[in-house]
Amino acid sequence: MNSRHLGILAVCAYTILVIVPLWLAIDRLIWISGFDIVNWIQSLERNFVSQGAFEFTLIQATISTIATLVIGIPIAWQLGRYKWPHDYLIRSILTMPFVMPSIVAAMGFLHLISESGLDIRSNKDTWFATLIIAHAWFNLSLVIRFCEPVLSTLDPKMEEQMLLLPAGRTKIGRIRNLWIPLLTPSIAAAACMTFVFSFTSFALVKWITLGENTLESMMASIGSSAGINGYMISKNEIILGSSLIQFTILLLSLWIMSVLQHKRQSRLPKASESIVKMKNKSGWFIVVPAILFAITPLITLIISSFRVRESGPGSTTYSWSTAGWEYAFTSTSSLPSAWDALFNSVGYALTALAIALPLGWMLAQFICDLEKVRPRLARFFDLFTMLPFAVSSVMIGLGVMLGMIRIDAEFFYSLWLTPAIAHVMITTPFVVRIILPALRSIDPVYDECARTLGISKVKRFFKIKVPMLRGSILIATIFTLAMSMGEFGASWVVTRNSDWTTLPIMIDSLRSIPYNNSLTAPAANAVASVLMLIALILFISTEKFRPRRDGGMF
Amino acid sequence: MLSCKGLGKSFDKVLFDDFNLDLQSGEIVAITGPSGCGKTTLLRCICGLEELDEGQIILDGKDITNTIAEERGIGMIFQKPVLYPHLDVEGNLRLGSRDCDITATLAEVELTGFESRRIETLSGGEGQRIALARALLANPSVLLLDEPFSSLDEELSDKLLSDVREFLKRRNCPAVLVTHNLDVAKKFADSVISIK
Repeated sequence: MNSRHLGILAVCAYTILVIVPLWLAIDRLIWISGFDIVNWIQSLERNFVSQGAFEFTLIQATISTIATLVIGIPIAWQLGRYKWPHDYLIRSILTMPFVMPSIVAAMGFLHLISESGLDIRSNKDTWFATLIIAHAWFNLSLVIRFCEPVLSTLDPKMEEQMLLLPAGRTKIGRIRNLWIPLLTPSIAAAACMTFVFSFTSFALVKWITLGENTLESMMASIGSSAGINGYMISKNEIILGSSLIQFTILLLSLWIMSVLQHKRQSRLPKASESIVKMKNKSGWFIVVPAILFAITPLITLIISSFRVRESGPGSTTYSWSTAGWEYAFTSTSSLPSAWDALFNSVGYALTALAIALPLGWMLAQFICDLEKVRPRLARFFDLFTMLPFAVSSVMIGLGVMLGMIRIDAEFFYSLWLTPAIAHVMITTPFVVRIILPALRSIDPVYDECARTLGISKVKRFFKIKVPMLRGSILIATIFTLAMSMGEFGASWVVTRNSDWTTLPIMIDSLRSIPYNNSLTAPAANAVASVLMLIALILFISTEKFRPRRDGGMF
Repeated sequence: MLSCKGLGKSFDKVLFDDFNLDLQSGEIVAITGPSGCGKTTLLRCICGLEELDEGQIILDGKDITNTIAEERGIGMIFQKPVLYPHLDVEGNLRLGSRDCDITATLAEVELTGFESRRIETLSGGEGQRIALARALLANPSVLLLDEPFSSLDEELSDKLLSDVREFLKRRNCPAVLVTHNLDVAKKFADSVISIK
C-alpha cells in the first residue's frame, strides 16, 4: 500500500467519522422540517428563542476580533522585535490561554465580575465588555503565534536595506513599505481564526452573558428537543437555519485563512536563527500588563476555589477552606465525584488521541503530497479537513446525538465511548493543522538522499520522517489531549442525558445547581483548577518541543 | 558497468534527448553544460528520483530503468550536503552502513574525532566530506555527483576535488559528475561530455 492509498483510506475514514454523523443529523432535521432554505432562515426571526441571535453573534465576534488584534499586535511586536529576559517563559505565559478549556476561562472571568468578585455583572454593558475581553484573552495567543515569528526571525538586512531607501527613511515609511506588507497575511489569518472561535464561542457566552444567545448557545439550548418526529418542528428549522448561516460564514473565513496561511508560509524568509535583538525597557509597559492580563483569571479561579460563602441573617460573609475541593471530590446523589469525571475525561482524551493523531497525520501527508501534483485539489482537501471548524462543536455534538438516534439510539447511549466520537471530530482538524505545516517544511531532498542510500520506505519513515517531525507530533499529541480534556460544547450536547460526565461538564453542572448550596461555586472552581493545571502541564510540555518558526497555527 | 541508452526527458521543453553513456569500472566522467540544460535532471533520472520519458539504463547487465531509486544501488551527492539535522555525524554515517567502522571512515575523509559533532556545526566542506563518506559506505555501484563543490570557495573546492577523485580511484568506484565549470570537469574526470 503506497502513501496515496493510505491518503485515500484516511479521507474515507475521515468522511465516515466526521462527515457522516453531520450528514445524518442534517438529513434527519430535513426529514422532520422539510427542505425549505428560505423558511429555515426566516424561522430565526419568527421564533422568540432565536430572535437577534445572529446579529448578536456577528457583532460580538467582530468586536472580539478587533479587540484581540488591538491587544495582541503590540504584544507580538514587543516579543518579536526585542530581547526579553526569560523570553521562553513570557511567551509561554502569554500563549497559554489558548489551550485553557473555555469553561475554565468562563469560570475565571465569571468570578472577576460576579458577586464573589468585583460584582459588576448586573450591568449589561459590563458583561458585554467582559465577554469581548474574555474572547481577546482566549485568542491572544493566535495573534502572537501568527505574527511574532515573522518579526523575530526576519533577516535584519531587510530592515537595514529599507532604511537606506527613500521609501524607508521615516518610521511611517518603514511601517507602510516593510512591516504592513510583511505582517498583513499573518494578521489577517489570525483575525480569521479569532473570528471563527469568537463566532462559535459557547462556554463564555453561556456563563458570562445574562440571557443573550449566540447561534451556538441557542442551538445548544434547543438541541435536545430537535430530531424528534412531529415534536417542536420549529426548533428543527431554527437549527437548520442557524447551521447554514454559521457554516457559510465560517467556511468563508476558513477559506480566507487557508489562502492566507499558504501565502504567509511562502512569504516567510528563512532567516538566520542567531539574530541579535535589542532590549527595550519601555516595552515592559506593554509586556507586564499583558502577563497580568493572561494570569489574572486563572489566579482568581484558584483563589475562589478556597473561598466559601456563608450566608447569615441579613449578611453574607466569606471564609477560607478546602470544603469546596472536598465537595468536588465526593460523589453526591445528583453528581459523580471529580475522580469519575477525571477518569472519563482522560479516557475520552486517550481514545481521541489514538484515532485523531494517525488519521490527522495521514490526511496531512495526503494533502502535502497532493500539493505537488494537484494544488487545487489539495486546497479542496485542506478545506475539507477544516469542516468541523465550520460547523462548531455544538453542531458536532448535535450531529453525534442525532446520528445516534438515526442509527441505533439504544446501542450508542449505552456505549461509554460515544462522546469520544465528538472529540475525534473536533481534534482531528487540529492535528492536520499542526502536522501539515511541519510536513511542508521538510525539504524533499532529505527523502531523496535517503533513497539514494538504499534506505527502504519503512526505515525512512521511522529513521528520518518521524524524528524530523518529532516536535510537531508531540505538539499534536499534547494539543489533542488538552483539547479533548477541555472540550465542552459537543460533550454538553451529547452527555447531557447520560452518566458520562467529563470535567468541563461537571464544572457546568456544579455551577447550575441552585445558589443556596454555598459549596457548589468553590467546588466548580476546584474542578476548573484541576482542569487548568492539567492544561498547564500539557502546555508546558508542548512548549519545550515546539520547533521555532514551524509556520504552524497552534 | 553502467550503460545509458537513448535517454530522453522533457518538462515544458526538451531537457535532453537520445543521451548515451557507457561507464566502465573505476572510470570518472564529467558532464558539462550551461545552467538549466538538464544536467541535474539527467542525474536524477539515472538514480531513479525522476522517471525517464524514454531510454534504457543498464547496470552490471541488469535493466534498472523501472527499478525504484532505493533498489538501484546508485549513490548521489547533492549540490549542498544533505545531512540529517536530528542525527549527529555518526548517526548520519550509520545511515549508509549500520556496521561500518566510523573511526576509520572519518579518518579516510580527514575528519577524525567528528563522531559526535552536530550537523549545524559543520562547515560546507566538512558537510560535503561526510555526505561523500556516507554515500560510499552504502557501497554504490556508481556514484553521481551533482556540482558538489560549487558552493565552496575556490581553494577548498580544488582541495576537495583532488581528495574526492583520489578517494574514488582508491575504491575503484565509477562516478559521474555534472558541473557547469569546464575547468572543474577537466581536473576531476577522466573524460568530459558536453550537453547543450
